Amino acid sequence: MAKKNRVAIVGVGYSDVSRGTGYTLDKLTAQSSVAAMDDAGIKPTDIDGVVVHSFPHQFVSSTHTAAMLGIPDLAFYSGNVDGAAYSVAAMHAIAAIASGSAETVLTLRTVHKDGAAGGGRPSGNQGIPGNQQFSMPYGSFTGSHWAGLYMQRHMAMYGSTEEDFGAFAIAQRKFAVANPTESFFHEELTMDDYLNSRYIAKPLHLFDCDYPVDSSSALIFTTEERARDMKQKPVFFDSWANGTTKEADFSLVGDMTHSSPWMASKRMWSRTDLKPSDVDTAGLYDGFSFIAMQWLEALGFCGEGESGSFVRSGATSATGSLPTNTDGGACNVGRRHGANFFIEVTRQLRGTAGDRALPKKPEVGVVSNAVGGFAACALLTAE
Amino acid sequence: MTTEVSPPLPLPNELTAPFWEGASKGQLVIQHCNSCGHFQHAPEPICSACLSFDLGSAPVSGKGTVYTFCIPTQAFHPWFEDKLPFVLAVVELDDQPGLKMITNIVNVNPDDVKVGDRVEVTFQPLGEGFMLPVFHPAAQ
Ligand SMILES: [Zn+2]
Repeated sequence: MAKKNRVAIVGVGYSDVSRGTGYTLDKLTAQSSVAAMDDAGIKPTDIDGVVVHSFPHQFVSSTHTAAMLGIPDLAFYSGNVDGAAYSVAAMHAIAAIASGSAETVLTLRTVHKDGAAGGGRPSGNQGIPGNQQFSMPYGSFTGSHWAGLYMQRHMAMYGSTEEDFGAFAIAQRKFAVANPTESFFHEELTMDDYLNSRYIAKPLHLFDCDYPVDSSSALIFTTEERARDMKQKPVFFDSWANGTTKEADFSLVGDMTHSSPWMASKRMWSRTDLKPSDVDTAGLYDGFSFIAMQWLEALGFCGEGESGSFVRSGATSATGSLPTNTDGGACNVGRRHGANFFIEVTRQLRGTAGDRALPKKPEVGVVSNAVGGFAACALLTAE
Repeated sequence: MTTEVSPPLPLPNELTAPFWEGASKGQLVIQHCNSCGHFQHAPEPICSACLSFDLGSAPVSGKGTVYTFCIPTQAFHPWFEDKLPFVLAVVELDDQPGLKMITNIVNVNPDDVKVGDRVEVTFQPLGEGFMLPVFHPAAQ
């Protein structure tokens, strides 16, 4: 595939993050934007595009964001409430820059702790409209429910066990312990801790779930040409792709062990000369731990159904072949809804991970978001 | 003294009403394309197989296989507080490959359910006259 304008990540930033900041979505959005601009060494007048992804009920528009920041005029803007978490904002920004629609784009994901993925739940007698009337009367309300369904299907198809999912939670907790300023958890997890944590929807345990927080994450993308003059060493998008399933309902996708990550992965690999063996580090969405494990299989880092043994082998640890979720993942640093994977892989690739720098400096990283009905992934390179 | 807890009740519309009307008569009724015979669930205004807008509904066999399941142990709605643990499942119906629905498996010890189990539809009162199609282990 002919390379379009190369797109680089040149700035990353977070808002204050906690279980209850008391801050509005607007303030969190402004905080992370300023942090990313500081990281990139640029001013609002250097930005000509803003893209946000949000849950519908937590929406801060791109134009309002630009107004808060004093950005005078936008060549490109987009506000998304559909699809694969933060990566939707990233995909729009890449497309805008690669096509020449904009030069320097601020991308955002802001989330409040309460009422995140599920949104409002019906109570009383108002009645359930639309197709949720075919799930809620059966007690299916949240992501934890479809997560349990996906895990059980994997266990039935491949003989995987709760201990396999636990191995992933334990492995990424080790990274979290090494990231005390961002992680909310500071002690290593044992298999007993994991297995004794309560079920939410058996086989899904509490420690399979990301940790709800108030957070805003911002990344700034620009052209290769502009990136060369900026403060940080740029990190480049080599290949990127979305994927979806034929069925929109996560609980009704045709093949739960081969959902949208497989479509996105196949498309991403078809657009690059890089191979799985070239990848040095990964940031794989862990809204639930099984999601990261489906990505390990979909991206071809291990065989189909073999993510459990791959993780148990130590492959995803700091000294393994594919250090994964080196910030600790969203189960530990809190729900950044996909953005932290892009931010952490960027920090590792450009050499700004500080104490957490991997023993072997990575040159190629992969990032991914979501599962089920929609997903996206991208390959990032240090050069 | 306890307050009356309401179940999560459907708000039927033109597309979804046949499912609930069928259930109230003890039939599992699924949207069916009058042009090509494709079943689809949940219902939509267009047939995704042939793009026909000429859609009706038809009873299905009520027999199927457990595609997957989980056992919720935390209620996310007060109606389920006294029903934990229960079996939330996806059942693939015999009537068309890949035709699946979210449901419950009832009349069974939750820990005895297995992917691949053969199941048959049955109906449970939900509230305000609504009947809920659920599944139980098929007769041997
Ligand atoms: Zn049709």
